[in-house]
Amino acid sequence: MAFNGIKFDTSVPGMVPWEIVTIYFIVGLAIVFYFARRFGLKSFTTIDLVYIAVGAAFSVVWEFYIGSFIGRFLPSTPFIGVGFWGRMFILLVVAALVRKPGTGILSLLIFNILSDLFFYGFGGEPMYTIYEALTYGLFLDLVIVASRGKLFGIGYKSGNGSSVATRTVVGLAILEGVIIGILFAIPDPIFYLGFFRPLISGAIVNWATIQFDFLAFIPGDVIIGILGALAGQRIAKAVGQ
Amino acid sequence: MNNLVEQIVSWVIVLYGSAVPALFVIFLIGITGLREITRYETGNTFLYKLNPVIKLVLTIVVMTVAATTIWWIGAILTLILLLSYLTLNEGVRKFGYAFFLTLSTILGGTWSIAPYTPLSILQLAFPNVKQFTVIWKFPSYFQVMGYEQQLTLEALIYGLQTAFRVAPVLLSALLFITTTTGSDIFRMFTKIKIPIAITFSVLVGIRMIPRIFELLDTSVKMQYIRGLGYGKPKIISSLLIVYAIFEAIIPTMVYLFRGAKNLAISADTRGFRAYPSRTSLVELKFTKLDYYGLVIIVVLIVLAIVANLLGFGRTIPYVGA
Repeated sequence: MAFNGIKFDTSVPGMVPWEIVTIYFIVGLAIVFYFARRFGLKSFTTIDLVYIAVGAAFSVVWEFYIGSFIGRFLPSTPFIGVGFWGRMFILLVVAALVRKPGTGILSLLIFNILSDLFFYGFGGEPMYTIYEALTYGLFLDLVIVASRGKLFGIGYKSGNGSSVATRTVVGLAILEGVIIGILFAIPDPIFYLGFFRPLISGAIVNWATIQFDFLAFIPGDVIIGILGALAGQRIAKAVGQ
Repeated sequence: MNNLVEQIVSWVIVLYGSAVPALFVIFLIGITGLREITRYETGNTFLYKLNPVIKLVLTIVVMTVAATTIWWIGAILTLILLLSYLTLNEGVRKFGYAFFLTLSTILGGTWSIAPYTPLSILQLAFPNVKQFTVIWKFPSYFQVMGYEQQLTLEALIYGLQTAFRVAPVLLSALLFITTTTGSDIFRMFTKIKIPIAITFSVLVGIRMIPRIFELLDTSVKMQYIRGLGYGKPKIISSLLIVYAIFEAIIPTMVYLFRGAKNLAISADTRGFRAYPSRTSLVELKFTKLDYYGLVIIVVLIVLAIVANLLGFGRTIPYVGA
């Protein structure tokens, strides 16, 4: 079976069963519909939409024009992902400014549309948009929901309503940055190497590589998660959000 | 001694393959060039007059043809699309920037595939080749960077063929962006019933990309004016541009996010999202030129079908001559 230039292969040995992936994305979509019903696009003010657009534009500039060329000077290893790190950093800054459920999914959606307009020509769509929005975007949104809109400790108050110590706020940002870093290390090895790559190109599935890549992604993603969280805090303050 | 020479040559090959595409972008295109080929400028030729929906479909069809046919069809498409930049406003200059970007994409694309492709894939890609031509042997520790121990001529050809999948798509996507006004893109998205909030964000994003290049350029120039690389050899001073771009990112981001408030206020005062949809004084029309565009689309689709029927289609890994 083929669609939009992609030939599908669902019977590669070791591949994550398509039923499990389908269930994951159905659950993901259900959460998106829940967000849409509960909050909807109307919960985003005009300025939120502009922040998301600026972040997505910056991610495109980084991932396709600056980061991709800088990345060529560095060794190709799962420990280093210049393009992805830049996008992740920018995504966290946008999340710090908006702090509403749906920010992650919407940001990834806009990023993917812009990437298609400027670079990919809608190749492999809508699969990549669904994949990225319902993995990275959804994970970020779940952290936003878990933080009750006080992502990276921004706007966090103590029980009696007074401000908390800077140390606590920084600690919260670091903790959430670490969680996001670990979460962001999951999709590429599990979903991409374990499912989408064999699905699209019939690639051999090697679970040792998947495990190694997952572990190798964690240090870099966690560091960028922390840096993005702290930068997000500062930029939110500088911008007055 | 031989070992030392082997080490040095291996590293020169690696740096050459990695650095040349990046240096093309830094020195021959520059931030100004990137800004120029990612923003709309008024024009009056065929591509400017085409309906944006037709242009968008054309981009998608180019991608499909490049993805489903043999590499040399992708190469021909690349050449045609590159030459069509000459028809744009300030065409020669835009053609120059697009040419270097294409060259950089092809070289970079080839190099990002060739040294990493294992023998098992090459055997699938070149089933008729009995003996691969080894060009260079890398030291064993290069495997840490993902390199195969042997760089073969076939791996380079495979990388080049794969790069011709990307090049025409990039060129057609940038052609769409440089020849379509923001308002037309807005109308196009509205016509295909995309929610206004998403359309607005996409439009702001499209307008922001050249603006980001402009701001980065200003910030980099300011750093040089303040003495970045002063007294250092010219080559070092020029390469410090990478450092300057890094330094410019956060201030540019803060500047844009601060400016976002003005944009939001401006949109709100014009009644943005007061109603679920917007009316427009200008309607997207389907003119005679769009029929020509439609003919090009049909020809490309037929070409892809015929090529596949004649055995000039391809899958990943690419199988063919």
